[in-house]
Amino acid sequence: MPQIYKFLTALLAFTGCISLVITGEMNPFMMITGIGLFPGYYRFLKGMEPAPKWAVSSFSFLTLIVFFFDSFVISNDSFLGVAHLTITFQVIKSFDLKEPWDHLQVYFMALLQLIVASELTNSIAFGIIFLLFLVAFVSAMVLSHFVKEGTTETVRFSTPVFAISLLALFFTFLFFVSLPRVSGQIWGKSHIKSIRTVGFSERVDFGSFGDIKADPTVIMRVELSDAVERPYYWRGMTLNYFDRTSWANTLEKDRIYKDGELFVIRSFRREDAIGQKIYLEPMDNDVLFGMSDIVAIESAGYSMITDSARSLFLPYKKGKRFNYLAYSTSDANSVTENNMQRYLQLPPGMEGISRLAKDINDLGDSTDQKARKIEQYLMRNYSYSLSVPQPPEGMSPIDDFLFNTRKGYCEHYATAMVLMLRISGIPARIVTGFFGGETNDYGQYIIVRQSNAHSWVEADIDGIWKRFDPTPPVSEGVTSGISLFLDMIRMKWGRYIVAFSLFDQREIARFISFPFQIPSMPEMKSLRGMVLVIVFALPAGLILVWVIMKSLRWTRYGLVTGYYLRVRDLVRKRGGKITSFSTPAEVKSEAAKTGMRGRVSEFINIYEEHRFGGKSMTEEARANYKELFREINH
Amino acid sequence: MERQSLKRLQESIESVIKGKSDAVKMAIVTLLGKGHLLLEDVPGIGKTTLAFTLAKATNCSFQRVQFTSDLLPTDIIGVNIYNPDTREFEFRSGPLFANIILADEINRTNPKTQSALLEAMNERRVSVDRKTYRLPEPFMVIATQNPLEYHGTFPLPESQLDRFMMHLKLGYPAAEYERQVLFQQASFDSIESMAPAISSEEIIRMQQEVDAVKIDDSLVDYIMSIITHTRRSDKIRLGVSPRGGQFLLKAVKATAYYEGREYVTPDDIKGTAPLVLGHRIILKTQTYISDAERVIEEILSGIPVPV
Repeated sequence: MPQIYKFLTALLAFTGCISLVITGEMNPFMMITGIGLFPGYYRFLKGMEPAPKWAVSSFSFLTLIVFFFDSFVISNDSFLGVAHLTITFQVIKSFDLKEPWDHLQVYFMALLQLIVASELTNSIAFGIIFLLFLVAFVSAMVLSHFVKEGTTETVRFSTPVFAISLLALFFTFLFFVSLPRVSGQIWGKSHIKSIRTVGFSERVDFGSFGDIKADPTVIMRVELSDAVERPYYWRGMTLNYFDRTSWANTLEKDRIYKDGELFVIRSFRREDAIGQKIYLEPMDNDVLFGMSDIVAIESAGYSMITDSARSLFLPYKKGKRFNYLAYSTSDANSVTENNMQRYLQLPPGMEGISRLAKDINDLGDSTDQKARKIEQYLMRNYSYSLSVPQPPEGMSPIDDFLFNTRKGYCEHYATAMVLMLRISGIPARIVTGFFGGETNDYGQYIIVRQSNAHSWVEADIDGIWKRFDPTPPVSEGVTSGISLFLDMIRMKWGRYIVAFSLFDQREIARFISFPFQIPSMPEMKSLRGMVLVIVFALPAGLILVWVIMKSLRWTRYGLVTGYYLRVRDLVRKRGGKITSFSTPAEVKSEAAKTGMRGRVSEFINIYEEHRFGGKSMTEEARANYKELFREINH
Repeated sequence: MERQSLKRLQESIESVIKGKSDAVKMAIVTLLGKGHLLLEDVPGIGKTTLAFTLAKATNCSFQRVQFTSDLLPTDIIGVNIYNPDTREFEFRSGPLFANIILADEINRTNPKTQSALLEAMNERRVSVDRKTYRLPEPFMVIATQNPLEYHGTFPLPESQLDRFMMHLKLGYPAAEYERQVLFQQASFDSIESMAPAISSEEIIRMQQEVDAVKIDDSLVDYIMSIITHTRRSDKIRLGVSPRGGQFLLKAVKATAYYEGREYVTPDDIKGTAPLVLGHRIILKTQTYISDAERVIEEILSGIPVPV
């Protein structure tokens, strides 16, 4: 068995296992067995004896027991259990490779590992592993064919491997583009680890923002339809009820349904709206973000949840990436709620802060002036800091911030302002979301990270909800060019590979059908796209492959052999018993038997002379050769 | 030019051996490829006549040795004999010192003599008492073997069979030719007086020219593929050795040369391979060389021909 074949087997086993490791979902203890691959394949490549039968079978039995224990107790997830099992299987198999059939088992186990990994991760590293796997897999399959035929020594297999890999890639691409996308999850439950966020749940404990402000994890990426001036406030949800230690959202919720292609929150004119294509990473909350105020959303799904503060929620937690197009306008957001009392709610023990609020405001001030003064007061007299110690026993965190430490972060500022506004009789609420974000010039999009998490204030100023942000500005860190570039690649990967959707397929279909000018039927559009792709692109692809193969045949064999092969095909078509095992002389005699026209013998003599005699063809000889071919072909 | 003289040679041999043009061609090819020939067939078929005619037609010296169980190596190589006049030992060459030697019933003699002959075939020289004597050029051994009678024989081991370039089976002549043979005067005198069609010098020159015959890389791969297949076939216990491959290449070039070409074609290989490889393999079921030939043909019909 050739060494390269052994090497490919090792490579595939490693590729499969690594694809699982990079998902980051494997239990480290269950993964440890994977180290066994190294001695296993070392022994195998060195040509050492396979492990004894009893050892292999007893380990296999043990693995099976561990699998059940793992599936029901350790991971409590049969999917992860299978993933762990495949790693152990690969290790055992690496000690027990004897027959060619064993190699195939390794290949298909690696394939299974990749399928499992694809469900566990969306990362670009997986994409690279997949390409590596594809090439290695095709090479191994082609090689295994040659091994079976016993011709490895005599056949140069680099060309077929290359050609078939290319073909496989082409078809992978074709299927990727044309297979109908389904929304929803095949496995029922998402196995992708989502990002833990803070501030977007029904109840938010005070002081929890501080922990995440240093976390650079990317939360979402945004493409803007038009240039918008900074600052960017990505509004998430509002919090209205405070009990001295935590904020809560007690607003009533409502379900809205798609109107055409859009979820409309309030009516708007498209030309006034700013479109934001938002690519959300998998998160543990169900909030949708967008510039205030979001007026409409275009996305997959049939329904959405909204509350009276016009925050938007998905009907389920975002276990996976979610992409949508948000439309926002800067129109005044007038107060439409009847029950404004809940925005004036105050917890007990607000004496200190009440005194402060009264000090800041003068009696004659308008609501707007009052709000501005409070905002300015907080911004000027308090310092921004992420390291805030626990408040002393018996003191509320907000009193500690205002009168004791005098330093804090967005949560402190916003809470202090909302409370002071409420004391002054102005309805107000906390808004949580993200602030700012880094513009990536490579891809012209904005990266919003966990560290951009922010909270600010909305207050009812003369019947309009206005935004206030008492937190002093903090300079944002700058990311290096390389990591921005890498982020751009990740963005494109997420955008065009992972999140390739029905919408994209429709766009492609539209593009393909453009020259045909097929009248559009809105409700049939997606279906028509699929049909078009299957009806046109698939045969077109096949024809393309055929043409490539044909031209490869010409370039590979050249004119002399090219014509000979055609003559051979002609003889076969005339009923001659011709196979690829037939020699030129056999072709001659078969041609004579079938009574072919033309001077086949002479033609084949010329072929032999130029093909095997190493003689180069003169113009004249070529013309003669072609003429003979025409005679035969006629 | 060569093609014409070779054609003349073939015709002049065929005027004696009738209806066996394929066998005659292969015998000439073996001579051109500097090989030795193994004839395996029943007696009375014309093996001796073929060898003798070949020698006469090429103007070569001819010796015939009947191999018997008591034949000694010195009987074929020669001995040092004391010459009382010069008071020195003189080398008296044996029958091996001829251009074409017919080793009749080679499997009847003892292994010692067999191996002496086969060594000489391989090295084209003999050593007697530390002195080496070159054998004449051209040098070709045509050995015969009777496939049916095995009593009291010493079958040649594979390692020795390997030294023959080709094996041939003459077979019975077709009825029309056999009729002529019946009336033919069974005399060697008429052959003895035959005019040579070609000189032995010409044969030597042609042997050198055979080496210059071109072979395309893809055809070398084809040969490699055939050899590899004999080693992997489940009907064959022992496949073709690297030396077998060398002989095939040589034979293929000689065939191309015989056909008047300066290059090898796939047909040269497919046509020659069974005759060159048949006696080099051991089948799992012990049988005649002709069965092995069929297995080689089977293998050939399963290997794609280079285009």
